[in-house]
Amino acid sequence: MKKKRIFAVALAGAMLLPTLAMLSGCGGEEVVTLRVYNWEEYIDEGGEQTFIFGELHELDEDGKPIKDENGNHIHIESDIVDDDYKAWYEEAMGHPLSEEGPRILDDFCEWYERTHHQKIRVEYSTFGTNEDMYNEIVLGNEYDLLCPSDYMIMKLAAEGRLERYDESFFDPSIPENYYVRNVSPFIAEKFETNAGLDVRKDPEGENIYWKDFAAGYMWGTTGFVYNPAALEAAGISEEELGSLGWDVFTDKRFRGKITAKDNVRDTYFAALGVTFQDDLLALDRTGADYITDLTAIFNATDDATIDVVEPTLMKIKENIYSFETDTGKSDMVQGKIWLNYAWSGDAVYALDLAESGKSEDGEDEQTAYLNYFVPEAGSNLFFDGWVMPKGANKEAAQAFVNFMSMPQNAMRNSYYIGYTSVIAGETDDGDPAMLTYADYLYGEEEDEENFYDLSYFFGAEDGTYGIYADEEQRTKRQLFAQFPTPEVIARSAVMDYYDEEASMRINELWSRVKAESLEPWTIVVIVVAVVGIVGAVLLIKFGNKIDFFRTRPKKGYEKVKEERA
Amino acid sequence: MKAPGFSRKTLCIPYAVFLIFFVVIPMCVILFYAFTDSEMHFSFSNFLRFFSDPTKLSTIVYSIVISLITTVICLVIAYPVALILARSKLKKKFIILMLFVLPMWINFVLRINAIREFFNLLSQADALSWLETANIFKTVVGMVYDFLPFMILPLYTTMLKIDDSLYEASADLGANSFTTFFRITLPLSMPGIMSGVTMVFLPSMTNYVVSDMLGNAKVTIIGKFISDYFGNDWHMGSMIALVLLIVVFVSTWLTGGFHSEENVRGANL
Repeated sequence: MKKKRIFAVALAGAMLLPTLAMLSGCGGEEVVTLRVYNWEEYIDEGGEQTFIFGELHELDEDGKPIKDENGNHIHIESDIVDDDYKAWYEEAMGHPLSEEGPRILDDFCEWYERTHHQKIRVEYSTFGTNEDMYNEIVLGNEYDLLCPSDYMIMKLAAEGRLERYDESFFDPSIPENYYVRNVSPFIAEKFETNAGLDVRKDPEGENIYWKDFAAGYMWGTTGFVYNPAALEAAGISEEELGSLGWDVFTDKRFRGKITAKDNVRDTYFAALGVTFQDDLLALDRTGADYITDLTAIFNATDDATIDVVEPTLMKIKENIYSFETDTGKSDMVQGKIWLNYAWSGDAVYALDLAESGKSEDGEDEQTAYLNYFVPEAGSNLFFDGWVMPKGANKEAAQAFVNFMSMPQNAMRNSYYIGYTSVIAGETDDGDPAMLTYADYLYGEEEDEENFYDLSYFFGAEDGTYGIYADEEQRTKRQLFAQFPTPEVIARSAVMDYYDEEASMRINELWSRVKAESLEPWTIVVIVVAVVGIVGAVLLIKFGNKIDFFRTRPKKGYEKVKEERA
Repeated sequence: MKAPGFSRKTLCIPYAVFLIFFVVIPMCVILFYAFTDSEMHFSFSNFLRFFSDPTKLSTIVYSIVISLITTVICLVIAYPVALILARSKLKKKFIILMLFVLPMWINFVLRINAIREFFNLLSQADALSWLETANIFKTVVGMVYDFLPFMILPLYTTMLKIDDSLYEASADLGANSFTTFFRITLPLSMPGIMSGVTMVFLPSMTNYVVSDMLGNAKVTIIGKFISDYFGNDWHMGSMIALVLLIVVFVSTWLTGGFHSEENVRGANL
């Protein structure tokens, strides 16, 4: 779902093959291989962007913050890799920092060898869409760990293609079980209840709960990145934008200034939002059925719905600048478009990118100022999780999930890709790690009204956990995109998977939307023209073989012929 | 007893193996998928669905039109260039030829990215702001840019082969340059034209990287359609691929692609 930058090689080369990127190789004898198949650019790949978690505060090997004698976290002020950092890293991770910087897959290999006394090699490859990944699996490519989105997890599980996690994976008393100890209770609850979607059955007739098949990795919402300065110049205030909600897709004032996603799942979802915005707003938000009704509207695939959504999709196509999967971010930053329908992690990336310009004297200089909003009527809440296909090496796969769930690794990944990790950190020892992380990135001095409550994410009473941040961060900037408010989550629906018949109808709908629908007379004219050309060519080629077109002999000659006969 | 050694037949084996694994077998798979339903039973349903769906038919027609426009523009640009190059007495004409062929050495996605940025730059000017939404125009320009060398090269090589004495004879017999062109140059460069047309027309029907990146994914040609269908419905995707194959076959046949004479395919590409 979150296809980021497409690179030249991926496009020009093998369209259907995954780009096999051997990011790691820790050689040796008797090496176990772990085949991980993840989204493109969905893990910390090292290099300059790597988050040096020493920056935040020192963590001990178990990912717990080290505190000084006064109970404060120990901060390392420097954000460069110096000798102190190298020394600290070597001690914390048990191996020296590599030349390229800390690479998370290398770190995993080292960690696995230390804890499991077994050498391991990670074969890491990436995919661009859930559907590509699904095709690979169906074709029989073998992997140990995949990272599909919510609806695809459900589809794979319902088709009996997944292994269940071991019971022991959920035992918090095992020291290596970082996932179960650190996962956010909010996410854990969603995975236990399938986020409110219908419980389906696997081929053996057993109920499918995501929790049994998947461990969370990243999550977020979808919404719009917008350029407030450009909108203001066009006479559209932020309040008006908020009240327009999904209608921005069809509002003529945004013509050529907004983008949609070039995949049917997300754009169909958006079109449902546009079409049924009034119905969605009319739902009783305090009612017990609110979330069920909301989810039903956003997952409707019946014929009547498709019939009313189709004209909306046509209007959207008419109005938007482009269907995109990865160009939206740069188009936003360059100011070409005002609004970009985006996943929250990409939104964070775009917001960061817009601010990252540096002037010549090294001062930070804002090239553009972008914000993020989620339509009032409701939007999409998504989860990407680790699943093990049938026949996977479960031990290594579960160890990988646990390693990625160590708070410092969750931070590294989250910092690198912009998405929000499902990891919260343990709460029994002061502030959970992710709260410290959010505070490090967005925290401000405390004053009377700047508390941003994140208790829901850490599974605590309102008011327990939160950070102090300025109003912009709380309402429309990176903090809001990474950790949406409970109100946003309350009005967000999770995507269900389409069954085969619905899937076919929606694909047909999508092809009608994407294709140029020519008027019948145009087709006739073109077909006649083409037939004409073909006919002319045929005539030139074979004309001399057909008696009718053969150059006739002169009359005199025919007479002579007759006479002779 | 025959002396051991390579016969012509053994030398063919590598290519035969390649042919079987990468041409024949995939072809059979496409055929199989095109005529089966999701339960893998033999069925004509994809066939019927394709030909009863105006969307798919108009996409095919639309792709053909875009390819035709691309081909004609390429031909109009390439023909004079090739003619001048071939007829000129310049000693260093290979440098000019190189200038046209050079872009082919750079990765094509990079070139398309560059042209996208170039259009972005142009569209900043008020007078050219229409460029931002001119998706079809940008797609065609991108295709022409991409395929122009494939038109120039075959034309150039065929024209090189035209014997100078023919021009001398023509001048001797009193023909003006106009007549010379229509009686000598054009007929004798026909194989090059056919070859160039085939090499531009066919790939530009499926090159959806250009239409996605320059047409903002709002221009859908048949290649994109196939790719979209292969995400979810391999059977329909295969059927569209099969229909495209037939279109390609017919147009190759029409442009004389199947002649066995050496001269017909003028290009040494």
